[in-house]
Amino acid sequence: MQTRFLLAICTLALGVQIAHADIILPDVNAKYVSIKQENPDRDAGYVVGDVLERTITLTIKKPYELVKESLPIEGYEHRYRGQISGIELIKINTQETSHSDRVTHVLRLKYQIFTTGKLAKPAALRAEIIKLRNTANKEIVQYRIPSFNFRISPLSVFGSVKLKEEMSPFVRPLRLDANQDILQLEIAVGLLSLTLIALLYIFGAYAWLPRMGAPFAKAYRDIRKMPNTTEELKKAVARLHTALNNTAGSILFSSNLADFLQKKPAFTPLKAEFEKFFTLSSEVFFESNEATHLGENPKDWLLKFCRHLRDCERGLTPNIPSKVSR
Amino acid sequence: MSDAQLTDWRNHALTLESEVNKVVVGQKNPVRLITTSIFARGHVLLEGDVGVGKTTLLRAFTRGIGGGYQRVEGTIDLMPNDLVYHTYLGEDGKPHVSAGPLLMSGENLSVFFFNEINRARPQVHSLLLRVMAERTLTAFNKEHYFPHMLVFADRNQVEKEETFDIPSAARDRFMMEIPIVVPSDAGIMESLVFDTRYHDVDTLVANVPEDLLQFDQLNNFAAILQNSITASPTLRSYVLNLWRATKTPTDFGVKISGVDMNRLVLSGASPRGMGMVLRAARVNAWLNNRTAVLPEDIHEVFHSTVAHRLVFSPVYEMRRTEIAREMLTGIINTIATP
Repeated sequence: MQTRFLLAICTLALGVQIAHADIILPDVNAKYVSIKQENPDRDAGYVVGDVLERTITLTIKKPYELVKESLPIEGYEHRYRGQISGIELIKINTQETSHSDRVTHVLRLKYQIFTTGKLAKPAALRAEIIKLRNTANKEIVQYRIPSFNFRISPLSVFGSVKLKEEMSPFVRPLRLDANQDILQLEIAVGLLSLTLIALLYIFGAYAWLPRMGAPFAKAYRDIRKMPNTTEELKKAVARLHTALNNTAGSILFSSNLADFLQKKPAFTPLKAEFEKFFTLSSEVFFESNEATHLGENPKDWLLKFCRHLRDCERGLTPNIPSKVSR
Repeated sequence: MSDAQLTDWRNHALTLESEVNKVVVGQKNPVRLITTSIFARGHVLLEGDVGVGKTTLLRAFTRGIGGGYQRVEGTIDLMPNDLVYHTYLGEDGKPHVSAGPLLMSGENLSVFFFNEINRARPQVHSLLLRVMAERTLTAFNKEHYFPHMLVFADRNQVEKEETFDIPSAARDRFMMEIPIVVPSDAGIMESLVFDTRYHDVDTLVANVPEDLLQFDQLNNFAAILQNSITASPTLRSYVLNLWRATKTPTDFGVKISGVDMNRLVLSGASPRGMGMVLRAARVNAWLNNRTAVLPEDIHEVFHSTVAHRLVFSPVYEMRRTEIAREMLTGIINTIATP
């Protein structure tokens, strides 16, 4: 009875053991899968922190297809006999290209070394086992991507050392990759510069140069863009009126012109032109039936007058003909 | 009416103005405004201190205009019937009734001068309001017409005792309120004091040629004048903005230091008032030999035609002359044309 009981216990324990063991799948027929590897250039001289990249191009013929869930995941670290290998998969990129009879998968794998030793030791980017599914009969098979063997070196010689003396002129010091940070810094500086320029433009009364945003300078630019028509002439005269009012600080009429010239003597040389302008304004807005008496195209004359006003505004002496005819 | 006739009338108007300026010195602006109101057919309220030449000015104009001139003194016991008739005992011992100042000249009455109007009672103001507005009066079972009559009234703003403030409705009937102030020019002041020519008013006024204008043709000519002078759409828009600003000056950014603008104006200019502004502005344009009204024409008459129509909060009424002048100047300096 006791013997039977022990036998039952052993049988149960064996069954549980078999249930927990890895299921070994059959290998795929080699004619369905072709592989192309791009491994690191060298297989020695790697130290802790180094990143190794390898690109695997798998071409899987139909009826087989890749079971994507079988691909290794980021952060996965190989173990060998229960011990971590110290080599971690930190990045995986996949790219898939379908053809009529096959599918090409490009796997870009990045591993980082997190282990070192007192002496150089062998290591491997372990063979990754991926699974394939037969779409016809739903059979699952496996394919083994070959491993890449290399050696990990210690950072320094074993024993008590003085780093200063042990540094080799043939090995440059480890440097952090700052390209990304530099790029971000450059973008930030660029944005900051643009913001400062915009701020300067706003504080400069929307002008790029000093006095460029002054009333007559702006009016001159606006009037210059206006077409040479009767209707636009009204707008041009109104625009200049606005500039005059802004400069005077109140509404400027011919009746208070003398007061304005007394307050702003820089404009005194244009007294005769001011009177012509007010005559033109009256003709355009209030006596529309009457012809203008400028003796030239009103738009041209207006531009000239506005330029003279702009000169006065900038503290320059306007170039006025010696005698202004009325 | 041809341009030649407009020119002819203008020459007469300028001659009248010139002659009055010789008699009443240092009052060019009031003289121009009174000339304007005569041709715009509007009544005038003169405001000024005693002895500054208001009566002389009006007599000089009356002589130049021609027609009948009547004058009444405003007193606290003046009653409306005193303007219409007066009764007396005749030599025959019987009561008699004769026409009062309003009726005395009949239809030829051209200027009715009401001196110190603010001393008269509201009943008198009421009668005058009707006469000013309708130019008619019912008396002795008969309708009397005064088609050519202009009312010139004056008031003394300084003295307040035994006076009745003219209500805003009555003020609105006057086209203009014109301030008459002592000239500030030293030479003119000296002349007024030392030149004996100015001491005898009757002789002085007699220097103005009689009947320079034909008073009975002024109404017809005024109508033609108003139709001859144009106002462009830009000017119309400008005037409407001015009108709005008299009602809500804060909307146009008009400010007066020490005055709460939100509480200041109870009522702005009336439609009749703005109509009178345009009538006066057209006359001003015509006097300046123009065929269209300019903003400057509006400015010339704006203060005198609008200031007395504004109704302020009671707290500001005591300073109305000063505040009205400042507010209207602010409006002109704020509203752009175009």
